[in-house]
Amino acid sequence: MDSQEPIMKLENVNAGYEKLQTLFDISLEIPRGKITVIVGPNGAGKSTLLKTLFGLTTVYSGKVLFEGKDITHMPPHERAKLGMAFIFQLNNIFANLTVIENLKLAGHDLSKEELEKRIEEVFETFPRLRERMHQKAGTMSGGERQMLAMGIGMIRKPKLFLIDEPTAGLAPKIAKEVLANVKKLNEQGYTVVLVEQNVKAGLEIGHKGVLVVSGRIVFDGPAEQLLARKDLAKLYLGLAV
Amino acid sequence: MDWNLFTSTTIYASVLALLSLGITLIYMTTKVFNFAHPRLSLVAAYAAATLMAYYAEATGAQPNLTPKHSFLGSLTVPFSWEFYAIGILVSMVFGVIAALVEYYAILKPLQKRGADYLMLMIATLAYDFLLVATLFIYNTHVDVRKVLARIGVLSTKMSMASYDVTVVTGGGVFISGSFIFSVILIVLLGLSLYILLFKTTLGVKMRASVENPPLAEVLGINVERVYAISWIISGLTAGLAGYLMLMAAGAGNLKPISATSPADEIVVSAFAGSIIGGVNSVFGSIVGGLLIGYIELYIPNWLAIWTGNAELFKYSKVISMLAVAITLLFAPEGLAGLLKGERWKRFFGKKEEEG
Repeated sequence: MDSQEPIMKLENVNAGYEKLQTLFDISLEIPRGKITVIVGPNGAGKSTLLKTLFGLTTVYSGKVLFEGKDITHMPPHERAKLGMAFIFQLNNIFANLTVIENLKLAGHDLSKEELEKRIEEVFETFPRLRERMHQKAGTMSGGERQMLAMGIGMIRKPKLFLIDEPTAGLAPKIAKEVLANVKKLNEQGYTVVLVEQNVKAGLEIGHKGVLVVSGRIVFDGPAEQLLARKDLAKLYLGLAV
Repeated sequence: MDWNLFTSTTIYASVLALLSLGITLIYMTTKVFNFAHPRLSLVAAYAAATLMAYYAEATGAQPNLTPKHSFLGSLTVPFSWEFYAIGILVSMVFGVIAALVEYYAILKPLQKRGADYLMLMIATLAYDFLLVATLFIYNTHVDVRKVLARIGVLSTKMSMASYDVTVVTGGGVFISGSFIFSVILIVLLGLSLYILLFKTTLGVKMRASVENPPLAEVLGINVERVYAISWIISGLTAGLAGYLMLMAAGAGNLKPISATSPADEIVVSAFAGSIIGGVNSVFGSIVGGLLIGYIELYIPNWLAIWTGNAELFKYSKVISMLAVAITLLFAPEGLAGLLKGERWKRFFGKKEEEG
């Protein structure tokens, strides 16, 4: 696969939930090996766009392509097998299971040796998870839960991480830590699409910025350019300029 | 100890355990209380009785009630073992068919149209009425009546207890085949469910799909398939309950089988078993069902002996309703919640550590 080719593409997609259309004529390319950050005001359709990439919404028209393959109507569990990992904003871990059980569950279809190797890789990336190995996931702090959620995603060695507002509801210090972990994932070679409510912090770690307003893409380009667009920042993102 | 009371109560308790398990399994996966569940077992019982009668007719077998000598004492097997094997197999198959029809033809289309849990529960009631009507038409159909009559079974008040395998030990103790079957069945069911849920990949997927369906889906688990498997297991257990009822009906505590009986009465007890076990615990439901079966029959029996009033036996359902009320008031998570200790922790003001 050509590394310059986008890993994922949306072509003129109209999508929503059942009969409620929330995305209109979306065309978007997700570059391989980069962090794409989707930002926008509340209710703009950022999470819906991310969910559309993973097949969690209804696509009325248009095409969703993953590595050139049309996956528009492919169910989420099959997209996971293609190499996509989705991290929900909430309920992104099995709260009643321990950390190690969560990781084992994520690799349910791997061989024992392979699973052990990948769990070790997760522990190397997030050493705190090793300390909490036998702790029930539901009793961990918000930041640690996000760490585990990323670890769960890593077990399957996905080609693409889709992360939905990982810092929502977290204290600023923890949120910074979580975004640093997202960057760490990217540095390990993972492609990331991130929906982030903390616009400045999100775009600072991103390579590509996408601004969604009322279900339409208003800006699609380098993240630093979006940060520099004072008109958009003031109008849609609530940033002081 | 009253041996007959013990054996018949054990069969009844096993029927409840099987039904409670099915109710719990469906609640855990689809969050719906399936009010039609006990009726699925009647569908299975009718299908089994009909095909057992056809088999007897096709092979020309006549019931042979002459006891044979066995190492246990005397053994009576009225028909060949194939006759019973067909009954068990057909019950399971029809239990599964009735369950899958409910899931795929009624509940899933409704779910797709956005029906909430209340609507789905009402739909299960509607399916129950549909099954009652179908069974009424079926059991009064002239051909069915004729077929069943050939093995001496009345279609509207089915009882095959006289064709149950029986063992009379050297000491004169009477053991019915249904009793032996029910004990083996519950032990095997508990073991196989344990292996399935905790030792197999499918079990891991099932537990994941129950705890967090969206997350299970994004981890590549086909949650829809897991739900279908839950319905199949639920149908299998309903079918087995139907077979047990068929072979024990008319003797002990189970009434002869008709379109409404004994499902109408048993529905209360089966739900009680599920609630007492903890609606989110598969093993709790088996224990809950067994417990309800025993207390529902033993407590009125003791009360009747104690007060000398045999009429008290009629109020056995009050015991299960009381057990449900007490459980919901003091331990809403049922036996499973008590065993996890969460209730006691809360009772003593201890909370799980957060963050």
